[in-house]
Amino acid sequence: MDFFLQQTINAVSLGGTYALLALGLAIIFSIMGMINFAHGELMTTTGYALMFAGLAGLPFVIAAPLAVAVAIGTAMLMERIAFRPVRKGSPATMLVTSFAVAVILQTLFQNLIATRSQPVILPDALAQSVAIGDLTIGVNQILSITITVIILVALNWFLKRTTLGIAMRAAAEDFSVARLMGVRANAVISGAFAISGALAGAAGVLWVAQRASVDPLMGFVPVLKAFIASILGGLGSLTGAVAGGFALGFIEIFLTAYLPEDWQPFKEALALGIVILLLLVRPNGLIPAFNIGREKV
Amino acid sequence: MQARTWIGIAGYVALLLGGAVVATLIGGSAERVLIVFFVSLIAVLGMGIYSGNSGILSFGHLAFMGIAAYLSGILTMPVQMKQVSLANLPAFLGEANMGLLGATVIAVIFAMVVALVVGIVISRLEGSAATIATLGLLVIVHGVIIGARDFTRGSQSFFGVPRLTDLWVAAGCAVLAIVIARLYRDSVLGLKLRAGRDDGLAAGAMGVNVRRQRLIAWVISAGIVALSGVLLGHFLGAFSVKKFYFVDTFALLAMLIVGGMATVTGALAGAILITIVTEVLRRLESGLVIFGYELPDMFGSTNIGIGLIILFVMWKRAGGIFDRLEWDELIFRRTRTAAAPEEMPHAAEEGHTLRAEKVTKAFDGLIAVNEVSVAVGQSEIVGLIGPNGSGKTTLLNVLSGVLPVTSGRVFLDDDDVTGASSARLAGLGIGRTFQNIRLFTSLSVKQNVAVAALRQWPAASGADEKVAAALAAMGLTDKADTQASTLSYGDQRRVEIARALALEPRFLFLDEPAAGMNREETDALMADLKGLCQTRGMGILIVDHDLPLIMRLCERVVVMNEGRVIAEGEPAAVQKDPGVVEAYLGAKGSQQVADALSS
Repeated sequence: MDFFLQQTINAVSLGGTYALLALGLAIIFSIMGMINFAHGELMTTTGYALMFAGLAGLPFVIAAPLAVAVAIGTAMLMERIAFRPVRKGSPATMLVTSFAVAVILQTLFQNLIATRSQPVILPDALAQSVAIGDLTIGVNQILSITITVIILVALNWFLKRTTLGIAMRAAAEDFSVARLMGVRANAVISGAFAISGALAGAAGVLWVAQRASVDPLMGFVPVLKAFIASILGGLGSLTGAVAGGFALGFIEIFLTAYLPEDWQPFKEALALGIVILLLLVRPNGLIPAFNIGREKV
Repeated sequence: MQARTWIGIAGYVALLLGGAVVATLIGGSAERVLIVFFVSLIAVLGMGIYSGNSGILSFGHLAFMGIAAYLSGILTMPVQMKQVSLANLPAFLGEANMGLLGATVIAVIFAMVVALVVGIVISRLEGSAATIATLGLLVIVHGVIIGARDFTRGSQSFFGVPRLTDLWVAAGCAVLAIVIARLYRDSVLGLKLRAGRDDGLAAGAMGVNVRRQRLIAWVISAGIVALSGVLLGHFLGAFSVKKFYFVDTFALLAMLIVGGMATVTGALAGAILITIVTEVLRRLESGLVIFGYELPDMFGSTNIGIGLIILFVMWKRAGGIFDRLEWDELIFRRTRTAAAPEEMPHAAEEGHTLRAEKVTKAFDGLIAVNEVSVAVGQSEIVGLIGPNGSGKTTLLNVLSGVLPVTSGRVFLDDDDVTGASSARLAGLGIGRTFQNIRLFTSLSVKQNVAVAALRQWPAASGADEKVAAALAAMGLTDKADTQASTLSYGDQRRVEIARALALEPRFLFLDEPAAGMNREETDALMADLKGLCQTRGMGILIVDHDLPLIMRLCERVVVMNEGRVIAEGEPAAVQKDPGVVEAYLGAKGSQQVADALSS
């Protein structure tokens, strides 16, 4: 039972990070129909910002928000430079563009910073753990779960209560009508990228906090997982992205925990296999996006 | 298949073989570069068969390349070598020692079987979700290859594969792949899939099972990509699982996209361009001296170069260099059209009826169609009118299977067809047009119509005549080779009708066919429709806001308001129905009309 609880905490922590990433992807997808392949590079950028902040001797409480700010800035720059020219293109055009951006950024990281993994200076407190009864919970796990919850609540408030948030939700349902109602396309899309950058930044901080290192391809695998989480949840659905993220976190952690030794090398493949089987039952995801099947005929 | 297709193929083959001859004469590194080019080209052609014709980008095809490279490598590797490097291989594989041909056949078939299983899931997903699923496939297969150490040596180098891929083997396979890719594109299957790419919903309504077409293309494309995997493995001799992951996916996708994934010519152009750029940049990467300056080493400059090319192409010409047309299609615009038969093909049999009984369609809380019962008989023209938002189009969508019914039943003659897909209903003889024109925009007028005419392929012949007849009936024979999206609004509506006619429907649904046409065009269209109804014995259900038109054309009119049928009968009687007048003009308006009539 304790083992089970322990694994549940691990799953919530990992799933939370996937959820943040998937949410960032979903916000962009719901508004522009674009899958942003370069989302992972935002996470990597955050990691490098933390690394440089650490080297400059900044305390973590300042370095972390600074790193998130760098991710927000990078996301908005990315949109302005690379994605705005293809905004009216097909989903495939936008996807390919972002794929190219991702590869260019990865290569730049390799050339300008280092090809190898670099250590990140973190406060010692993060490596501690707290014992509650028989359970041992890492401080970084507590941090990760707390931050995930705070962000989800804050984002929910933003999308429901603020003008820009409501404009974004309107744009996600029907961008052309939203524009006719006076919603400004550039503001909404820039805003969406800023939020998506913030989410990737937060996920990046949490990711690095557990690993204390950063490499040029750091963001690639978690964002790959977030892609899978977002179709599992329902592509373009924000609630679905969160659900998909947590679901994937649980699937992965519990496979690692309960799979026999011989099968461990296949756990990643099995986790994705389970997702694909789930999609066979629910092709539009666990919580389908509002627009699915509503195409006007 | 048009003669043009073969001219196109001849052009590619001449280019490939010419390149091979030149490379043989130069020899050495030129040969190696060209072998790599051929192998990449085969992979790109394979990816294009699926992605180009379906419009769904795939990141997963290198999985099939990997599967085939490992499996064929195991089959051709000398037995003694396997005892050293793959000691735990099961006996039937450990003792196998085949030639390249046998190994290729087995590896390609195996990859296609895997593709079939995976494809059943992927073909159910739409657009971007399908793309992500292919990404998942790549990760899964990568993980399995690393995990299955006994077969693959995990993430270590897999070595000892005999180097059997020489220039002429690669060239021969490239010719094979290019012939298959082009024949598939121009075949009936390719045409149907391309129609589904342009408009999945309309393709369904024209009898195309889009999912099945995607699955077929997926399996064929996996086979071609597997072939390139076999060649790659037997060219390199030693490789690791990294060769079949994202770095190479990026390079191959770049070739596919830069040239234009919708065409074989584009795949070829992209492969040539990216190969040249890669070769040049690779030399730069190892440091180069220009005008006495030694440029700094730039790790991965090929990636940046390719990335920038992709960005440039996406910004300037998102469809790629060759966009939608093959080189031969650019040169020879006109194609041969069969002569229209003197007699219209006759579908008229005895007394068909289409009946809806208490059909209801609800969108969450909104009930768009509420317990509607209507019937259309043979050779009958029924008008469906009502104010905006009264549920007319939704009723057509439900009756044609585009939307599922919430409750109620639909009968075709005595068969219950409730819940049948639009493709199946198209097969049973229900054709339709759409309110907001849904043509296959990248196809020519003739191809648009052919998609519907080829519904029964390969069971029935005579599609050419059906196409010619439908084009002639709508006066479009002169415009047969025009790209559909470039036509005027009225002509596009005519193409939609011609396309529906090519299904040889027993019932035809027309959703505002005269919208955007002037009086003369409308009158001409109505005369045509009346004629078709009589000669073909079709039942027509027509929605339009042009009330004088409906009143003149129809023998019976059904009036809907707020999802319900509020009146039905002969045009003259319906026109005077107080409920109808009220629905159109409101209570106050109807009072004025009544006053006007009585005074």
